[in-house]
Parts: sequence; structure tokens; C-alpha cells
Amino acid sequence: MTPAVLEIDASPTTVRLLDAGPLTDAHAEAWEKFQSLPVPARTDEHWRFSSIKALDLSAYTAPQPIDDTTREELLARSTGLAASAGRMVFANDTLLRREVLADTLRQRGVLWLPLDEAMRNHGDLFRSRFMREDAILGGAKFAALHASQARAGTFLYVPRGVEIDLPIEAFHWLTGEGGSIFPHTLIVAEAQSKVTFVDYFESPESTAGFACAVNDLWLGDGAQVTYVCAQNWSGQALSVQINSTVVGRDATAKALTVNLGSRYARSESVSHLRAPGGRSDMLAVTVAEDAQEIDQRTFQIHEAPNTASDLLYKNALDDSARTVFSGLIRVSPGAHKTDAYQKVRNLLLSDEAEANSLPGLEIEADDVRCTHGATSGQIEDEELFYLLSRGIPLRESQRLIVYGFLEEVLQRLGSEPIAEKLSALLHAKFDAKH
Amino acid sequence: MSTDTLDIDRTRGDFSYPEQHTFDAGTGLTHDTIDYISGVKGEPDWIREFRHKALDTFLAKPMPTHWASHDLENIVFKNIRYYLANAQKPKRSWDDVSEDEKRTFERLGIPEQERRFLAGVEAQFDSEAVYSNIKAAVGEQGVIFCGSTEGLKEHPEIFRKWFGKVIPTGDNKFSALNSAVFSGGSFIYVPPGVKVKHPLQAYFRINAENFGQFERTLIIADEGSEVMYMEGCTAPKFETATLHSAVVELVAMKGAKIQYITVQNWSANVFNLVTKRAIAHEEAEVKWIDCNIGSRLTMKYPGVILKGRKARGEVISIALAGDGQHQDTGAKMVHAADETTSNIVSKSISLGTGRATYRGLVHIPKHLKGCKNNTECDALLINSTARTDTYPAITVRGTGNSSQHEASVSQISAEQIFYMMSRGLTEAQAMSLSVNGFVNDLVRQFPMEYSVELKRLIDLEMEGSVG
Amino acid sequence: MNALEIKDLHVSIGDKEIIRGLTLTVPRGEVHAIMGPNGSGKSTLSKAIGGHPDYVVTSGTVRLDGVNILDMAADARARAGLFLAFQYPMEIPGVSNANFIRAALQARLPDGEELEATDFYAQLYAEMDKLEMSRTFTARSVNEGFSGGEKKRNEILQMAMLKPKYAILDETDSGLDIDALRIVSAGVNAQRGPGLGALVITHYQRLLDYIVPDHVHVMVEGRIVRTGGKELALELEEKGYDFIKESLTTV
Repeated sequence: MTPAVLEIDASPTTVRLLDAGPLTDAHAEAWEKFQSLPVPARTDEHWRFSSIKALDLSAYTAPQPIDDTTREELLARSTGLAASAGRMVFANDTLLRREVLADTLRQRGVLWLPLDEAMRNHGDLFRSRFMREDAILGGAKFAALHASQARAGTFLYVPRGVEIDLPIEAFHWLTGEGGSIFPHTLIVAEAQSKVTFVDYFESPESTAGFACAVNDLWLGDGAQVTYVCAQNWSGQALSVQINSTVVGRDATAKALTVNLGSRYARSESVSHLRAPGGRSDMLAVTVAEDAQEIDQRTFQIHEAPNTASDLLYKNALDDSARTVFSGLIRVSPGAHKTDAYQKVRNLLLSDEAEANSLPGLEIEADDVRCTHGATSGQIEDEELFYLLSRGIPLRESQRLIVYGFLEEVLQRLGSEPIAEKLSALLHAKFDAKH
Repeated sequence: MSTDTLDIDRTRGDFSYPEQHTFDAGTGLTHDTIDYISGVKGEPDWIREFRHKALDTFLAKPMPTHWASHDLENIVFKNIRYYLANAQKPKRSWDDVSEDEKRTFERLGIPEQERRFLAGVEAQFDSEAVYSNIKAAVGEQGVIFCGSTEGLKEHPEIFRKWFGKVIPTGDNKFSALNSAVFSGGSFIYVPPGVKVKHPLQAYFRINAENFGQFERTLIIADEGSEVMYMEGCTAPKFETATLHSAVVELVAMKGAKIQYITVQNWSANVFNLVTKRAIAHEEAEVKWIDCNIGSRLTMKYPGVILKGRKARGEVISIALAGDGQHQDTGAKMVHAADETTSNIVSKSISLGTGRATYRGLVHIPKHLKGCKNNTECDALLINSTARTDTYPAITVRGTGNSSQHEASVSQISAEQIFYMMSRGLTEAQAMSLSVNGFVNDLVRQFPMEYSVELKRLIDLEMEGSVG
Repeated sequence: MNALEIKDLHVSIGDKEIIRGLTLTVPRGEVHAIMGPNGSGKSTLSKAIGGHPDYVVTSGTVRLDGVNILDMAADARARAGLFLAFQYPMEIPGVSNANFIRAALQARLPDGEELEATDFYAQLYAEMDKLEMSRTFTARSVNEGFSGGEKKRNEILQMAMLKPKYAILDETDSGLDIDALRIVSAGVNAQRGPGLGALVITHYQRLLDYIVPDHVHVMVEGRIVRTGGKELALELEEKGYDFIKESLTTV
């Protein structure tokens, strides 16, 4: 692979994000929309139970530049999977390194480009898919902000019938005090294609910053896309992540988010099952500690008959952490033979932890199978005693049970190397305190 | 009066008698309306003041449309009549009740049920109870069972202590409305240790068009006592909207048990917007059994505040949303003490273009230990145009508590219907059997007399929904 | 003394006393059986010795090779050499059987010492073969989705791997068909020897045809009321527990 470093955009550091204005004239409309949309209120159903106060953006600056020392340090720390088909590393919305795809894939028409290059060289294709689905779970204002600022991130286009065996990876680093970044991931998988993509969201130190990410997945007929996001921003960060996945006929989408970082992390995830035979698996694992708040909103929209969706979110909460899970399954009129499932499970590890669950159903077709479940509980005494009775010390027993609880979700991914990588991140966070 | 003045339809409640009201507050709602109602009832100043304040609250509060159907916006408050009555004091004997009113309740089977199995009956016709009686043996145990107007006058020391304490005026727009114009409803006090063997029953009948019924019920079960209360409701089918907006407050003192059973069969023009809540003290048990059939829009979420250690709350709910109807029902369980448990079982059936919505709230806050909630919601969809929604909100804090929520949506399988039809049942009969099977485990929790009634109502609703 | 010594043990659950002055000594190298009717406190005894926090020892002592274990937490007791085979083994979702046993063995090593993986697996597979367990059980979550017989075999597998000095087998025969009973018993018998003292708790004599005890104790209402050789089990099987109860009331 040949590393290719692009020029760093040396924008001034002191600009307040709220005064930043649109990135270019082409971004002006989005900026206007951002400014005109109201700040979320808790009375809005989409922000029920959310700590709205955490959303104040006035203290953040526009993306800050990266000095050479930091660049080298971050590159050294950007270790992904042992084997991948390609890797890009961004820091503060600046591309640091690009390890390109194998020539064979390029020859078959696979595009994997940083956003600016995609806009420049494949403008029509890019614009036809860039943020085409509205943010309908409350985050419209943040989506507009993202659209007005998006410069970093990747566009992946997989042509019809092309299967990429190894995962493709992108690192996004948020560093420096009070900066902001806008990572974007756009994946267009044409009919019968197959790809796995991993986003790593990382901070090198415990500084406060703001990350506003969007990832959109488009699956053509029979396409198979696996998208993984390891959200590991610093514990002081504010993060918002907005996803939309459009699933075509007989296509299969699988998404897994691991939530580890941020003092307040908002994640909105929408699966549109748009054509018959489509399937979407929505998975998430959260380890929330200290005063972290992980606020997850999901929407499984069955727009066509014979579609399936299966959601499993698991949260482990310690200290005074809070989680909000609000998920809705909607079966539109005519979407018969829908098979939809949704489950959230909360494991409370401390007396101050708080789990809020709002699982919802809206069913407007009668020949369907839809169920949801939400449980909140703690480590069962009997389970713990069983481990203790084998001589495993208390802390270790608790850890094993918590890992076991979360492991089920990682296994659903069906990729051992990625599951192991995510496990390691998750254990590193949990072990730091236990 | 001859029977040809009646207009009878297929449902038992759909008939009405010509109106002839001695007391009529007129149409629309102002502070004058309040003064009229309070004056007619001869109420003490504190209640009059309470009503005026409540009216201000009602006017100030916005419609809860984000939380419910936009159909609420179709209620025209200025077209509604808020108080209609013929007399101020209920009769103790059916012989003294006016002919129309007596015949109304006879057709609904109330006096017969009273003879057969009830410990006491109160029958409300529009705004006031026309009949109220309690079996002598029950009264001798110190049990008080009368209308809210009477309770306020005769037992102010108990009434005032609890009135408006479980559901404050400003709880929601409709509790404020009720607090402003309430009339009728039941007042029950069961002394410590008294276990009322047979149910007490109230029947709420709307007879007049463009009318709003605002009964107010307050039940206090003192330490270690037990009581079962049943309410039935009907109204004739009018062209215009009728409003029913009750407030029901229950207080179960230490170790007391209250069962509150509702079988409503409103006609499809009724907006039924009811606030029901209980406080359960230490080791007390409150069980709401709620069956919602009919109405244009029902919004009702019976709740229990589990205030004392080991208190237990339960909501058993059956909702049948017929064509064009919206049953927006659910439950609220607020855990406020250690080792409290709550259980919610909700089953709904949506027919035609009917919509059944479950809204739930479970709250296990702070450092409580040993609290448990279990919630099950099952929805059955009969037609492709029917709709069902489930919106629970569950908050659990700490390591000593647990909650479990499950919901499912299903339909009656075509195979099942075919099997029954191949044995000679009509499609409607097969459907009715299946629907009854779906709710059977809940229906069995009703007293026998009510479960029979319920099955009949379900059969009636199912007729005409098939094909 | 190398023995599991229980002296005048009293155990309560909540306000209720279940074990009421039980005394019993199981020397290393011997197998003792406790039989008793339902509700006599057999399972309470095993949980209390194991250190379950719900079972409160109000008086008495339990010593392992002379060391009082009652002040120890459950895990410390296990590391001191005690093993409890559960009547109803718990399912631990997401924790693989191999990792679980490994963690238990690792906990027995001094700080900084790592378990040797190759040896571990070699030993694990060898023990699994003895119990006729498929290799797939190493990767499966502990007891999750296991049949009753598979769970019991898994208990004996753990016992074989952890090599306790004393084992309490709580109704290990319950829910087993005859083939599973044979395999499980063979697994226990293979571990018999001078290094192991075992207390086999059972309701039925059947198990004792396979795991032949050196001594049999009869437990009624929280006490040992009779002690004898293995023939006592047969007598009980023949005459039933009522016979013991009657003989008690006549005394």
C-alpha cells in the first residue's frame, strides 16, 4: 500500500463554531438550516429523558489544525485490524494518511475517497447520495450543522457484484481543547456487492471536544454491508452521531456501534427497509461510567412487505451513568410479512446508575410478527455465587459476567477479528476502573 | 310514556329518553357556570374556590396533543353542557326514582344485579346520582358509600383530607376540567379491618346530547380493609360529540386491598378522557381492571403510586378499538418505596380502522431496593387497516431493582379461522372465538357477571367487522 | 486433621432456622453420603458451606484441614480447596466454558504467574473425553442451553479441572437418565482417592449404587439423625424416610 498524505487545511483556530459559517458557498443552505432550526427541548418526544443542557455548542471552536508531533503520534496510535483492505486516518478533520485499496479493487471500479476528492472528481455520484435521508429522530439541527461543515471522512462506492473480503477502516481523531470535528462516512453498495467498514472514533487525551458525525449506508439489491463504529472519544467529549441505512431488495445491512467515550453521546440510527426481502440488524454495546450519558434513538421502518429487522442493544452502567434508549418499530400500511424484533437490556452496576427505556411499536399492517422487550436488572446473586464458588475473586467474577453480557452482541457481528478488536477496546475501558 | 319514543339500536346502551332537566347550567363554560353548579349544590366556600381555581388552570393548560391524538382538538368546549340534573338528592328506593331514569337502569339490568350480588349501588344519570343505596349489613360495619356531593356534605372530615391529594388539579388539562365542574361519582370509606364481601357498583349513564359528564370518585380503604368497586358506563349514540371526563382517586392505607373494575361501553361519539390514580401505602394492594370498549377516543392510564414498603400495584387492561375508534390506554407505576412490585398486563384488539395505543410509565427511582416491575402488552390486529402502537417509558435506577417489559403484535391466523369454519362456524363466529381466546386469561380475572357481559360486548363489536 | 469438619452448625435463611446443630466429619480420602427427605435442609447445608450470602451461619464451625472457613468469602473457600457441584448449575451467558474454567484456575495461581494455555487445553480435552463431552462445549457459554445431563457433566468437569480437596455434590443425580448417571458417577469415581473427601447429597439411593459411599448419614429437620455404612441407604430405600421419622418420635 502506498501512503498518500494530502495538504492540511490551515484554517484559523480561534473561530467559534457558532460563528464559523458554511464551509463553502455550496454549504450555505445547510448552515442556514442549522441556524433556523430550534435547539432541542425535552418536551420534544425525541429528546425525552435527554440532558439537553449538554448540547450547548457555544464553547467549541471550528476544527483545529494538527502539528507535526501530534500527527506522528496519532498515526502511530492508529492501529486497526491486522488485515484490512484500506485505511484512512483523519485528525481534526484533516487527512493524515491514506492507505489505498488494492489495485485489483480499483480496477473493478471501487472508489474509496476522502470527501473533498469525491466532491471534486465524482461530484454527481457523490451528491446523489450525500445526506439524502432526513434526520428524523430529533437531530435535524445537528445534521444540518454537519452538512454545513463536512470536509473529512470517506466515500466508499462498491460497484455491482464486487465483494471486498477484508474490512476497510477509517480513524477519526479529535484532539486539542474545545475543538470540533465532523466525520462523515458514506457507503454506496451497488447490487450484489459486499463490504465491511469500520470507523474508529478516538481521542488521544481527555480533553473536551465536539464530534458531530454522520454515516449513511445505501444498499442496492442483494448487497451486504457491515458497518462498525467504535465510539471511543474522550470521556469529556460531546458527540452526536446520525445514521441512516437504506436497504434494497434482498439486501442485508448489519451495523454495530460500541459506545465507550463521551460525557454525552447521542446516537440516532434509522433503518429503512425499502424493498421486499431486505434485512437490517442493528446492534450496540455500551459501557457507561462516571457521569456519562449515552442517549440512543433508533427507528426500524418497514416500508415494504417481507422485510426483517432485528435490534439488540445492551448497556452496562456504572457509577452515576445514564442511558436512554428510545426505539421504534414502524410497520407501514401494506408492509405485510414484516418480521421485526427489538430488544434492549440494561445491566446496572451501581446504585446511582439510571437506565431509561422507551421501546415502541407502530403497526399498520396486520400480517406481521413484531415483538419488543426491555429489561433492566443487575448481576444476579446466584450467578455471582456460582463464579465465586469456583474460586474466582469477586471483581473478576463481576467482570466476567459483564463481558459475557456484552459479548453476545459482538458475536452477532460474525467477524472474529473485529469482535476481538472491539472486545479489547471495551475491556480496556472497563478494566481501567475495575 | 310509551316505548315508541325510544330509539333502540343493536347495542343495549343505545337508547335515550326525552330530556326534562330541573337544573341546567346551560351551554359553555365560564366562572358563572361554576357559580351555578356550586350554588345549586349548596357547597361550602372552599369547594367553590377550588372549582374556580381549577377552571383557571384548565384554561391556562394547553391541549396535551403531543402526547395523544389530534382528535382532541375537535372538542368544542363552548358547545358542551356542563351540568344537567333533575334533583339534588339520590333516592334510596328504586320506587322513588323517576320513571324514565328507573327504566333506563332497568334496561341496563342494574336493579336486578343489585338484588343478586351487589353490596351497594349508585346510579348516576347525567350529572347526579338518582339512586344510591347500600345494603344495611354493610352500612352497619361503618362503610360509607354515597355520591361525591353527599360525601362532601356528610363526611367533610374524611372527604377533605383526601380529595385532590392523589390527583392534583393541575395534573393534566382534563383533571383540571373535572376539578372545575365535577358532579356525581362515588365516595367510599371502608373502616379499618372491614372486608366488604360483595362488590359496590356504580353506573354512569349519559342521556343528554352535547353533554359532559364529570364524575369524581374517591375511595379510601383504611388499614387492613378490603373493597371491590365496579363501574359501568354507557351513552346513547348521538350525532354530536359527548364528553366524559372523570377523576378517580384511590387511597389504600396500610395492608388494605382495593380492586377497581371498569367495564365501559361508550357509544362512538364519546370522548372519554379519564384520570385514575391510586396511592398504595405499606403492604397495600391496588388492582385496576380496566376494560375499554367503544368511545371515539379514550385516553386513560390508571396508575398506582407505591408509597409504602411492599405495596403492590396492578393494572389489567383490555381495549377493543372498533372501526374509527382510538383506544389510547395504558398504565403508570411509580415506585416510591422498597420492595414494591407492579404488574401490568395489557391486551388490545384493533378492528376495521380502529387504533389501539398502549402508553406506559414505570419509574423506579433513587436508592430503592427490591422493586420489581413486569409489563406485558399484546396487540391483536383484525384487519389490514387496523393499527396498534406501544409506547412504554421505563426508568430504573440502582442495583437492587428490576424491570421487564415485553410486547408483541399478532393477528388471527387464516389457518385458525379456516379450521373453525370447516367445522361449520361462520367467519364472524370464528373471529369472535379467536378474539375471546386472546383475552380469555384476562377476562377470567373479572367477576363472573362482568366477564359474561364482556364476552357479549366483544361479540357485538366483532359482528360487522368481518368481511 | 485432614478433614472437612462441621461442628454444631446452625444456619438460617431470613428468620427461619434450617440447619439446627449439625455435626459431621468427612476425612480426606473418604466418601460420605447425606440422605434425607425433601425439606430436611440438605441443599441449605451445601450452600452454607459454600458461602452463599443468603445462608446465615448463626453458630458452629466449618473447618477445612483445621482452618475455619466461615469467615472467608465464597471464592476464598473455593481456593482453599472446596468444591460445590450445584443441584441447579447457573447459566452464564457470553462467558465461554473454557474461559470460565481458565479464570478459575488462574485465580489459584500466585500473582504474576500465567496459566500455560497448551497444558490447560490438553488437560481440559482429556477430562472432557472421560465425561464423553463434545469439544464444542469449550466454546459454548457456561451451561447456557445445556441439557440437564450436560450441566451435571459440566459440574464434574469443573471439579476434575479444579482438583478440590473436598467436594460437595448436591443432588448430582437429579434430572439424570441412567446413561448420564453412569457417566457422571464414573467421572466422580475417577477422582476418588486419598486426596479427595467427598460429601454426596442425595434423595435417592440409586446414585449410591454408582458412587459407593464409605458412610451414610441421614438428615432430618436440619440434623444428622443416623449414621451407618452403605447398607443404611438400602434400608432407607426399602422402608422410606417415614421409618426414620417414626423412630425419632418414639425416642
